[in-house]
Amino acid sequence: MKEMNNVIIELQDVKKIYKMDGVETPALRGIDLKINKGEFVAIMGPSGSGKSTLLHMVGALDKPTSGKVLLDGVDISTLKESDLARLRGKKIGIVFQFFNLHPTLNALENIELPMIVVEKDKKERQQRALELLKAVGLEHRAQHLPSQLSGGEQQRIAIARALANEPEIILADELTGNLDTNTKAEIMNFLLQLQKEKKMTVTVITHEPEIAQYAETIIHIVDGKIKTGG
Amino acid sequence: MKFADILKLSLNSLTHRGLRSWLTILGIIVGVAAVIAMLSISAGMSQSMKSQMSNFGADVLTVSVGRTRAFGPESGFGDRFQPGSTGGPPGSSTSTTTTTTTPTLTDKDLLTISTAEGVDTITGIISGRITVQYLAQTVTVTVEGVEPSAWNTMTTSKLASGRFLESGESTSVLIGNGVANGMFDYNLTIDTQIRIGSKTFTIIGILAESGTGSFGGDDRTIFMTIQAAREIVTDIGSNEYSSIQVKVIDTNAIDQTIENVKQALYTSRMVTSDTADFTVTSPTSMLATIQSTMQTLTFFLTGIAAISLLVGAIGIANTMFMSVMERTRLIGILKSIGTRNSEIMKLFLAESGIIGFMGGLLGIFLGFIVVGIISSVGINIMGLSRMGTNASVAIVTPELILFALLFSTIIGIVSGLIPARKASNLQVVEAMRSE
Repeated sequence: MKEMNNVIIELQDVKKIYKMDGVETPALRGIDLKINKGEFVAIMGPSGSGKSTLLHMVGALDKPTSGKVLLDGVDISTLKESDLARLRGKKIGIVFQFFNLHPTLNALENIELPMIVVEKDKKERQQRALELLKAVGLEHRAQHLPSQLSGGEQQRIAIARALANEPEIILADELTGNLDTNTKAEIMNFLLQLQKEKKMTVTVITHEPEIAQYAETIIHIVDGKIKTGG
Repeated sequence: MKFADILKLSLNSLTHRGLRSWLTILGIIVGVAAVIAMLSISAGMSQSMKSQMSNFGADVLTVSVGRTRAFGPESGFGDRFQPGSTGGPPGSSTSTTTTTTTPTLTDKDLLTISTAEGVDTITGIISGRITVQYLAQTVTVTVEGVEPSAWNTMTTSKLASGRFLESGESTSVLIGNGVANGMFDYNLTIDTQIRIGSKTFTIIGILAESGTGSFGGDDRTIFMTIQAAREIVTDIGSNEYSSIQVKVIDTNAIDQTIENVKQALYTSRMVTSDTADFTVTSPTSMLATIQSTMQTLTFFLTGIAAISLLVGAIGIANTMFMSVMERTRLIGILKSIGTRNSEIMKLFLAESGIIGFMGGLLGIFLGFIVVGIISSVGINIMGLSRMGTNASVAIVTPELILFALLFSTIIGIVSGLIPARKASNLQVVEAMRSE
């Protein structure tokens, strides 16, 4: 299944060491990882295992201390900040545990925001935002601010926002952590559907086994190293 | 991110922080209003003084007592040095320490000056503030007694109606346009009789408006012959004058003539250039003095106003720092969805720039209101006499408005520079981690 030409994300001996007050804390101790296009991957591990750091590497949110992160074959450490930012905006959609919506923009505007960032045409982006809002079933909530939405609704808006620029990769960091069981299933099924229909690469980080079940591949990470692949 | 979208996002976050944004803007409003008011009042005063000066031609010198290098006798400063004036102890404002009695200008000085080389005609002037009664209304007006034969050749004021004074007339007055129109409830016309002091006079001429002259210029002055003035301006001795106006023969030789007049007076008054108790001023020197005085005053007043603007700028910087700290997480979100560092910077600069711009815009309005209030109430500083209701004390020019807007916007942007830098340099991961 892991043909070279089909790899979208590749990590080569990635190490990440955080320095805080002169104390070095290794978060990743040499990760080798390949994620294929259209794959649904779950990264599991206890808290402090380095799984969030791994997601930051994969999502080009942070650069490794050593090793290489290749996104579609491009070494992200060779990119300028401004190009890396745009790459992030166009190729990667990230959904966070705490939804992270823009607090003073309404639901529709939040979905529109990534398209504003990459300078999409106004008509086009408004139409797309509305489509996405409908896709997540919240068209009646278009004018609501995040604070006026429930947790599940906020997460759905966050997913819609992540999809705005039709990214190749969806990264989700504990996206169901704050949701009830029904909503969890609903959201996971939605992601599954995206992966199947749009051939998107989906990577979720979770510590919940029932969430990991949705994935084709589960990567266990312990103490900054991959334990088993499968 | 497009510029229009950056502006929109900045406005969005500003409006959602309502009260705090307004308080920050208020800091700039007050500063800008203060600067506008100070600058325009200075400009207004400067123009008023200039227009007042221009009531005499460039070929007319003014001799006044005291060592003031500032203004002519018809302005406020001059009043203080009038013989027998009640303002201040004798010699208090002059640097002439040897003078124990208030110096005066007399017939003798008139004679001395008239014999100096280069002098054409000459008139002594008596001026005072006298109550004028018309119908049931009483107003205090500056009254000047002049020698018509000389004065008529010196003035640059034009007639609106009637005629100039003639020598020997004892009950005729020539009035400034401001006296005729607006000073009394009913406008004065030719042949109207008014009561000045204890005597009744007939108006024989009304001067055309001399511009924006608003304090003591010809516009707000009543002219009569010296003989008539002596009867009602009672605090000036029988052979004394408030000032002397001298018309020179050759304008090109005006500096030499000034020197001639000075030398003649040094001799007759038995003083030297160091102990001189009189001043000879020409319109050009007066203008220069006024300009330099006004410049100093403007600089000083504006400096004070600028301090409040500086405080406003610090307020912006403070608010922006708070805002960056509060929105650390949001900055992380924006970066995670592809926003560049430079765009984050622009977002914050746009916010502080908008604060500055809004402060400038509203500050100009407030400045207008302040200027309006000061103009209508009138200012009584520097011994300036009462303002008329239509007097423009302050001048707000389009340049001033543009400058204020531009300047306040720049202040906003500059104040936001460091906070914006801080925001743009935040690491995505670090920012996302903050609560």
